[in-house]
Amino acid sequence: MNDAVAVAQKRASNVRGNRTVALAFLLVVVVVGTWFYLSHRPPELGNAVTVYYTKLDGTTLGNLSVSLRPREPGESADEHLRNAVLYAAVQAVAGPPSDVQAIRFPPGTRVQGASVSGSTATVDLSTDVERQAGGAFGETGEFKALTYTVTAVPGITGVKITVGGQSLPTLPGGHLELDEPLRRSDF
Amino acid sequence: MSRSVARTFKLRPSLPRFAANRVLPGLLSVALLCVALRVPAVADAPIKALFGAQTIAFSHVAGSGAATAIGVNDPGLREVLRETGATVTWRPGERYVLITTAAPLVVSFAIGDRRYDVGSIVLQASIAPYVRGNEAYLPLSELLRSLDLALRPDGSAWVVQPQLAWLDVRTWGNRTDIVARAGVPLRPRLVTDTPATVAYEFDGVGTSLTGTRNINAGGLRTMQVVQSGSVRDPKTIVTVQLAPGATHDIVRSDDGRDAVIGFGPVGFTAQTPFGEATPLPAVQANAAPAEAPPAAGTETATGATVTAVTVAPAGDGFVVAIGVNGNAAFEWHRLRDPDNRFWIDVKNAQLQGAPIDQPEPAPLGALRVRQIDPTTVRVALSLSGPKSVTISPATNGVSIAVGSQDVADAVRAGSGSIGSVVASNEQTAPVTPAPADESGTNWNSDSESSWKFGPRSTYVPANPRLIVIDPGHGGSDRGATRNGTAEADLALDMARRLNGILVARGWQVRLTHDTDVDVYAPNDSAHDELQARVDVANNAGARMFVSIHVNSFINSGPYGTTCYISKPSDVALAKDVEHELTSDGTKDDGIVKSHLYVTLHTLMPAVLVETAFLSNPSDYALLTSPEWRQRVAQSIADGITRYASQYPVPNQPSQ
Repeated sequence: MNDAVAVAQKRASNVRGNRTVALAFLLVVVVVGTWFYLSHRPPELGNAVTVYYTKLDGTTLGNLSVSLRPREPGESADEHLRNAVLYAAVQAVAGPPSDVQAIRFPPGTRVQGASVSGSTATVDLSTDVERQAGGAFGETGEFKALTYTVTAVPGITGVKITVGGQSLPTLPGGHLELDEPLRRSDF
Repeated sequence: MSRSVARTFKLRPSLPRFAANRVLPGLLSVALLCVALRVPAVADAPIKALFGAQTIAFSHVAGSGAATAIGVNDPGLREVLRETGATVTWRPGERYVLITTAAPLVVSFAIGDRRYDVGSIVLQASIAPYVRGNEAYLPLSELLRSLDLALRPDGSAWVVQPQLAWLDVRTWGNRTDIVARAGVPLRPRLVTDTPATVAYEFDGVGTSLTGTRNINAGGLRTMQVVQSGSVRDPKTIVTVQLAPGATHDIVRSDDGRDAVIGFGPVGFTAQTPFGEATPLPAVQANAAPAEAPPAAGTETATGATVTAVTVAPAGDGFVVAIGVNGNAAFEWHRLRDPDNRFWIDVKNAQLQGAPIDQPEPAPLGALRVRQIDPTTVRVALSLSGPKSVTISPATNGVSIAVGSQDVADAVRAGSGSIGSVVASNEQTAPVTPAPADESGTNWNSDSESSWKFGPRSTYVPANPRLIVIDPGHGGSDRGATRNGTAEADLALDMARRLNGILVARGWQVRLTHDTDVDVYAPNDSAHDELQARVDVANNAGARMFVSIHVNSFINSGPYGTTCYISKPSDVALAKDVEHELTSDGTKDDGIVKSHLYVTLHTLMPAVLVETAFLSNPSDYALLTSPEWRQRVAQSIADGITRYASQYPVPNQPSQ
């Protein structure tokens, strides 16, 4: 009789042990799964992008908020991110409305395209951007605003600039190094 | 009692008198206010308009005629925006209504302001945008015009007519392009093709650009624009009178919104300004005459082609083989550890095939192959350390052997040739003779506290007595200009003055160029030019690098002096130079961190001084004064001296 009780207690103990192991395993799976999901899910882009512009002191940034359309049916998260980057870049190159004093890209400069690879966005500008006034003042102000605006899109930390579809180490007669992606810490 | 009645009458006037005294003036005031604010008192009837094959109903409409406004939430407007690929952004409470066109171009309206922006152009609308309820109302005709559309009456009906709104004429040397853009994809047809006249018909688009323009450039004499057809089915015909011997070609951009008609000598090919040219489908009425093959001896005939770039293991490393068909010069650079980028530029060459951007195992790190400008192909590696690199040119290319072992003090630049091209001789910058004695700076100090900004620099100058001065621009690059005054001349003048002062104080000085020439080569790329200046300082192991420039902007507002830096080790030098420069009253625009090539790639403390604005009248007067330029040179020299005394060189090598 006592043996039977002991066996039953041992069996119950084993079941409790197995249950604990299973629960621990489940807990680990849930924690790892949650971490994996949170770290790999596409960033929430929200319903607005912050568009920065450089004020005429050459360093201070101003900003305005521009509505961002929601993700459309059939538009993948990657496409939506790319479109948001394109949209943000277009707004940054356009600059604030004309009654706001700001350093502006040369007239006619257009964003011809954008793409995203990892956390780096590539923004292609028209060759009009090469018509700079000649000083580091304009170049720095323009690209600082563009960099801050595009990196304000969640998930983007760097902006590679191409001009007319080509990678340029610098603008003709220019000062800025454009060979590597620009980051906020560069300004 | 009678007095009481009388009072009652005064307090409660009859209805007609109440209306005359209180209501009518009130209504009149509201009406006047509405007129003053141009806010329509009532919404007009919806406008139904034909847009392509569909009928659009604009229902959120207010006002009439030129003062017609439309709500941003109007379903008809939303449909037009959708069809044209444009978007509108506005939320209640916001001042600006932004329309982003498919171009893409941003059109911004401001509530209460008749001015509106189309890209960088400021225009004036017939009415100011306003808010009613939770909806912004925009001037309809201007809004449609910004989308390259127009609302046209057709009898009692309305038609939203796409407009050929852009006809830009761009001249490039001996050729001219006419760039056409409309609110819809263009479908041009060649309707006339004779040696003297070419006419293209753009179906489905109207225009307000009618008339004749004289061009007289690039094989093109005149351009005449005529609209025909009906309101619902408009046609715009562009007729061009050609110069003798001129030919034409047409392409369009990938989205079909731009058509480029190119004119030039026999053999040229039209190109879109938007990347790869897309040949236009064969919709021409008459086939264009066959083009003659390019004449022998043209640039394409003598240029080389980079045919392939392959990576293969070799020993304990890899060999990167660059296949080159033809004769070409090449130039290579590498940066100093810890930035171990290496690149080789094959000159006068075209990349055959797609660019490459791929990771590679150590020690290569990554391989990138690109056409960085129209005549240069770059092959770049991100080495995993200061690895040994051996470059071996041959008749059919050049090979780069990268070993696994680290090397110290590796050569960081070189050039060579593939085939029979002779590489340009390396230019050497002038060096002033070493002074008899030093400046008295305590070179042997190794004080940690002397490096107070950012991480301590590990750079130890090979020549702690040498300062490299870089006069900005020069040679074929004039920099900013105003009234015949060029930045290159001013910068060189100030650099020469600074050279004299520093030499008198016992420094060795090297100018990246002491005459008005390009440092690398005439008409070279900005990158080659800037890298050559960086190389002068890095290869000489200079203690400091000072680049002298003149600022400029598109308007005359900004003025003052700015020191630009990129690295933490630049801060202290910039502070001292900026302090001295602005101590005599020049406006202090501060120290600005930026991603400038020369300050980024120089290994030593560096500063790019934008002395003043050529575009500002007051600063211009200063810049054109030799006395002021001498003061600038004196101030920079004082800043350098101040910095050198505060931050002595650590771990000075034996002289």
